[in-house]
Amino acid sequence: MITLRRVAPALLLSLLALSSLSVKAAELRLMTHASFELPKPLIADFERQAGVKLTVIKAGDAGEMLNKLILMRANPIADVVYGIDNTLAAKAIKAGVLDAAPTVKTVYTLPGGLAAVDYGVVTLNVDKAWFAKNKKALPRTLAELATPAYKDLFVVQNPATSSPGLAFLVATVDAMGEEAAFAWWAKLRDNGLKVAKGWSEAYYTDFSKNGGARPIVVSYATSPAAEVFYGKEKLNDAPTASLPLPGASFLQIEGAAPVKGGREPAAAKRFVAWLQSAPVQKALQTGMWMYPAVPGTALAPVFRFAPQPAGVKPVDAAKIDENAQRWVSRWTRVVIKGGR
Amino acid sequence: MVLSRALIVPPAILLAAGLVAPLVRVLAEGAGGFDFALLVDPYLGWRLAWSFIQAGVTCVLALAIGLPLSWALARFDFTLRTFVLRALMLPFVMPTLVAAIGVLAIFGPHGVAGINLQDTPWLLLYGNLFYNLPLVVRAGVDGFAAVPASQLAAARTLGASRVRAFLRVEWPLVRPWLASALCLVFVYCFAGFGLALLLGGQRYATVEVEIYTLVAYELNFADAGLLALVNLVASGAVALAYAWREKRLSVALKVEPLAPQKPQTLAEHLGLAAALATLAFVSFAPLAAVAASGLAAGWDVWMGLWNEEGRLALFNTLRFTATTALLAGLFGVAHALAARRSVFWRAAAFLPFIVSPVCVAFGLLLLYPEFTASLPLLIGAYLLLAYPFVAKSLAAALDAEPPELARAARTLGASPWRAFWRVRWPLMRPALSRGLAFAAATAVGEFAVTLFLSRPEWLTLTTLIYQLLGRPGSAAAAQALATLLMALSLIAFWLIERQAAHARTR
Repeated sequence: MITLRRVAPALLLSLLALSSLSVKAAELRLMTHASFELPKPLIADFERQAGVKLTVIKAGDAGEMLNKLILMRANPIADVVYGIDNTLAAKAIKAGVLDAAPTVKTVYTLPGGLAAVDYGVVTLNVDKAWFAKNKKALPRTLAELATPAYKDLFVVQNPATSSPGLAFLVATVDAMGEEAAFAWWAKLRDNGLKVAKGWSEAYYTDFSKNGGARPIVVSYATSPAAEVFYGKEKLNDAPTASLPLPGASFLQIEGAAPVKGGREPAAAKRFVAWLQSAPVQKALQTGMWMYPAVPGTALAPVFRFAPQPAGVKPVDAAKIDENAQRWVSRWTRVVIKGGR
Repeated sequence: MVLSRALIVPPAILLAAGLVAPLVRVLAEGAGGFDFALLVDPYLGWRLAWSFIQAGVTCVLALAIGLPLSWALARFDFTLRTFVLRALMLPFVMPTLVAAIGVLAIFGPHGVAGINLQDTPWLLLYGNLFYNLPLVVRAGVDGFAAVPASQLAAARTLGASRVRAFLRVEWPLVRPWLASALCLVFVYCFAGFGLALLLGGQRYATVEVEIYTLVAYELNFADAGLLALVNLVASGAVALAYAWREKRLSVALKVEPLAPQKPQTLAEHLGLAAALATLAFVSFAPLAAVAASGLAAGWDVWMGLWNEEGRLALFNTLRFTATTALLAGLFGVAHALAARRSVFWRAAAFLPFIVSPVCVAFGLLLLYPEFTASLPLLIGAYLLLAYPFVAKSLAAALDAEPPELARAARTLGASPWRAFWRVRWPLMRPALSRGLAFAAATAVGEFAVTLFLSRPEWLTLTTLIYQLLGRPGSAAAAQALATLLMALSLIAFWLIERQAAHARTR
């Protein structure tokens, strides 16, 4: 007996199944990293002005995204890319996957025709309540972090699988010099350093503000402001603070460029210019938690909890490209395998 | 017979195009650069050894705990029994990071248990068990339920004690069901990224993590391919050995399932209570912790989730899961029916759990550039990861199927189709619904799929949870969303299994 009651669930399933088979024609294809986030109305504005439909393709984090772009060089799957930063710029230029884009004047610049869109500072974050409760003084130098007073209190991301992890590693090598830096990392390892796979793992399972036991984590200078912004109760003070110790901060500059061999070069250039326009420069602050790269952009009120660390200079992009892989291998040897 | 052989074609095409070809493509990319010195590197040797150790230990523990648990759940009836059986599958839908947050809420530094197990091997094993015990318990319950009532009654009447009856009658019949589940547990833990890594930090990384780093960050296809092959051979051997055993272990059963009874004696009551307490401790505690934080998140957080993004994620989760479940049912039934007599195809059902997901992702990119970021590819990936559950649980049911019933129907003049629909199909349905429930749970919880190129319009609840956890101050919102995910999954399991309950009571 076939009754409606028995067929209904199957019918419903089939309808739902069919609904997932409709596809739209793509026009301007943007490739970006997982953290890309801009308000929909703004994107709709751009589509109207440029007369294209924007298709966003997310390809993992920035390092993974660039690798996919390099792999697909002969047959590009995107027309424009956003999210290549100064740790990856030289690699992207060498691989020849980018075309140059016109750029307005920006606070910091990127090489190889990449237009700078925003910048952030990777640095230490601390759990203020933990330090108050345990009556412990904040460390004043990176060297102090490796002393017994701060045993088991620090978590970093693995530079092999995480952008902030790599940024922090580069900052330490740049500040101390290679040999001294790895000697310091070896000390840290013996001092109970914990390594997490990525930012989310470190921040949400090891940082004492959330589920873990470690009150010092590698994050961004803007993280305390985001804590206030997304916090459950509207806070007047951030529960965390950034701790830009000398040699612990890395200036990360993110940019955009048309993809070489893309189908829509004109629309791609337009998109890059749009990323540098005033409304986007304003929106990206609380969307992606970065500082705007175009000078004169007003800061969002919540950024009073995100002071920019003073005196942080960008590290030379070519130097990063030449050494990054070697540094990461050496870091793995020293920190994970306990070698030299 | 010819017909059932031909059924293998669709799943075989899916496996070949979706797994084997991409893997071969990645190996080809790295060809010529293979350096076998890699395999004697002591560090990697330790990684491999650790992958084996943790998978093996998890299997032993899962059997030791899962066997008495599934026996109790199969034999005793109690209030909420069906609810418990459905809730058992919730660990499968939990995004790994949320599960870790739940585990730490109990055994972490600020945990309610008051003991901090973070950064100890105990927490890793606990995490592995949390994820894998449901597989063993669900299979065991189905197995014990299929033990013919008359055989057990005969043994008891002839004076066998409960224990002796268990050892002589029940254990041999249930063994194949449990072996099947344990094999899956092994390959899961062996090739998994999983909870173990998250709870243990990088010290406890498995080989799969190495492969991921080599491919995604270094484009080093030579080393990655070699490691992926080693992984494939190691867990492939386990799957093959098991498939060969499975064929030999299979016992045709009479169909007179034992209905669960209310516990009678004090000992039975205590035993059931102990079983439920264990289950609560291993499987439900972290989930309850997440749900408690989710519900405590407050009205503002919940309302904040009900925006355009939240609605889109909800809709996508529903349609992707529905599509996957529907297709997984078709492919799973085809695979199970066709693979009955073939060790090779039985083992092939494990392929999606064995082949390195990151190699497959990059292989697909190289092979089908025009289809990357297209919906069929995404659904195909979901399907690959989900349909083996249907194939596996059906295989166990088909092995236990008495051949004489269908033959009797044929003798009495039923056409082959009619014999299938009226005799074999009703017997397959409970196993099918268990497989479908796991397939649906996998589709809901599957995050590995996002290793492919994803698009904002494909946002699902799981990816939205990860998006939230990608920025500061969002733990409460993520846990609220995870609570919603659990509630939805329970409804989905109820819908899927209700059909099977009908079939049994008619």
